Amino acid sequence: MGGEVLHPLFPLYFYPAKGVERILIKLTRDEKVAYKMILPYAVLIVTLVIFLLITNVINSFKSPSDGAFTFQNYINCFTDPVVGRAMWNTVIWVLGSVVGQLSLGLLVALLLNQSTKGQIIFRSLILILPWATLDIVAGVMWKWMYNDMYGVLNDLLMKMHLISDYIPWLATENMAMLAVIIANIWKGFCLSGMFFLAGLQTIPTQLYEAAEIDGAGVFRRFWNITIPQLKPVIMTTLMLTTIWTINYFPLIYIMTGGGPGYGTETVVTYIYKLGFKFLDFNKSAALSNILFVIIFLIAFAFLKSISKEEVR
Amino acid sequence: MTRSQRRKFQKTITYIVLIFLSIIITFPFLWLVLTAFKTYPDIYAYPLKYFIFSPTLEHFEKIGNMNFWGYFKNSIIVGTGTMLFSILFGIFPAYAFARYNFRGKGFLLSSVMLFQMFPMVVFLVPIFKLLNNIGLLNTYMGLIFSYLPFTTPISIMFMRTFFIKVPKALEEAAKIDGCNFWQAFNKVILPVTLPGIASVGIYAFLFSWSELLYSMSMLTSKAKQTIPTFLSLFVGQYQTRWGPLFAGSILATLPPLIVFMFLQKFFISGLVSGSVKE
Repeated sequence: MGGEVLHPLFPLYFYPAKGVERILIKLTRDEKVAYKMILPYAVLIVTLVIFLLITNVINSFKSPSDGAFTFQNYINCFTDPVVGRAMWNTVIWVLGSVVGQLSLGLLVALLLNQSTKGQIIFRSLILILPWATLDIVAGVMWKWMYNDMYGVLNDLLMKMHLISDYIPWLATENMAMLAVIIANIWKGFCLSGMFFLAGLQTIPTQLYEAAEIDGAGVFRRFWNITIPQLKPVIMTTLMLTTIWTINYFPLIYIMTGGGPGYGTETVVTYIYKLGFKFLDFNKSAALSNILFVIIFLIAFAFLKSISKEEVR
Repeated sequence: MTRSQRRKFQKTITYIVLIFLSIIITFPFLWLVLTAFKTYPDIYAYPLKYFIFSPTLEHFEKIGNMNFWGYFKNSIIVGTGTMLFSILFGIFPAYAFARYNFRGKGFLLSSVMLFQMFPMVVFLVPIFKLLNNIGLLNTYMGLIFSYLPFTTPISIMFMRTFFIKVPKALEEAAKIDGCNFWQAFNKVILPVTLPGIASVGIYAFLFSWSELLYSMSMLTSKAKQTIPTFLSLFVGQYQTRWGPLFAGSILATLPPLIVFMFLQKFFISGLVSGSVKE
């Protein structure tokens, strides 16, 4: 803005007629090039997504029997006890996974940031290995570890005298939920770790040196420098992890299939079941739209608070 | 304690915790590898056998006989296609977002951000029906097409950051020397950003490599299915064939693991670029 003087008739720029005129006539050279470059993406991908969204909306208002317009699919969603259960499970699944992934990610990032020698090896073992493991492989791997008779987890916990009896991990509803959350923390904390590590590397070291000279201990420095400096990254990571966890499907599908009972049924696994097992496409579309609105609201709330933070 | 002593003490603690964490985090995968080399009596041994067992390659032979390499080939076809098309549809928008100011930029950029938040399962049924209507169901092309809404936005975000890092002066110098846009793009920008573009491609490849939900739904004939679908067949409701399942799991995980380890610098810088401002 420097040096630019506002025209006295500046408010006129906002008159609609003038605005339309500007859009119609003045395509700058840059804009012509840019629009040409974006055209394939806009035509194919954006149009496809919009088409899919509209298809879902139309399907969700169609009656499964005669195709007439109806609200019944949404009413069915709200009165279905499984949907309520799935929503509640999703909340727990997201809360547990996100808290676990972010704390473990932060711990690992802090440690890696401190280490000088062997950082690549530690990074490969801790951050890359779980990330590179295929979803289905992670699922079956944990399923085998949780096996109540031959699972290594029970055996190790017994040897360490932490439990006195074998735990049937995937057989009861609460334990199954805990089990899939632990597996998900293992699979997903690497992303938070990478985000945080990149964020830590942007904090100027002078801040720490100054604090150390002033006599601030490790924990004071952590609370008063690291956390505030890292806050924007933490917020973004929190948003992305929350949304990805809501959407994350394969681990639960492989490990429990939503069971036992509906113990680990989340909204996405239920949408899949409605569509592909019960062949109730319309209800599945309705639930999809509900989920979509929820995700949109969460993203909106996060983005708003992030931009507020930036203004401050 | 003096300052340097304290530093040394902190370093030691750091390394002890790091080693401890490495052991815990690699253990599940290590256990999978150990299990894959055990005979069935050793897999179902009680008490558990940790390191003393008779190693065997029988499970690897078994999945080899079950046409594992056929599924491997299918995964490579789908992965390569996803890679090429994600780059093709992503590279020019990424460049435009990095270089030009234009009306609607904000809207289109937020579409790129928003698309990453869509749950894949939400589009499963509509894409399935769309592919069925246009005759692309159970084709590689159809599956690749259904991946593009998810991989292209990420590839745009990645490549955009790589393009932003190329100084504009470099391109202008080429133009002064008489290059037109395409020549400047090919001879100046592409060589500089090639590692970034390659890592985007590999990212898209590995996305499709591990994707289960769409691949098992869109590819209905056995001859065309990919590795994740193949592996999921070993998981039964009452019984799971762990041996061959884990042998296949190792072979399926090795390619992404090796690639990620060698190219971690590029992946991490591309991946975090959206959320960490430097």
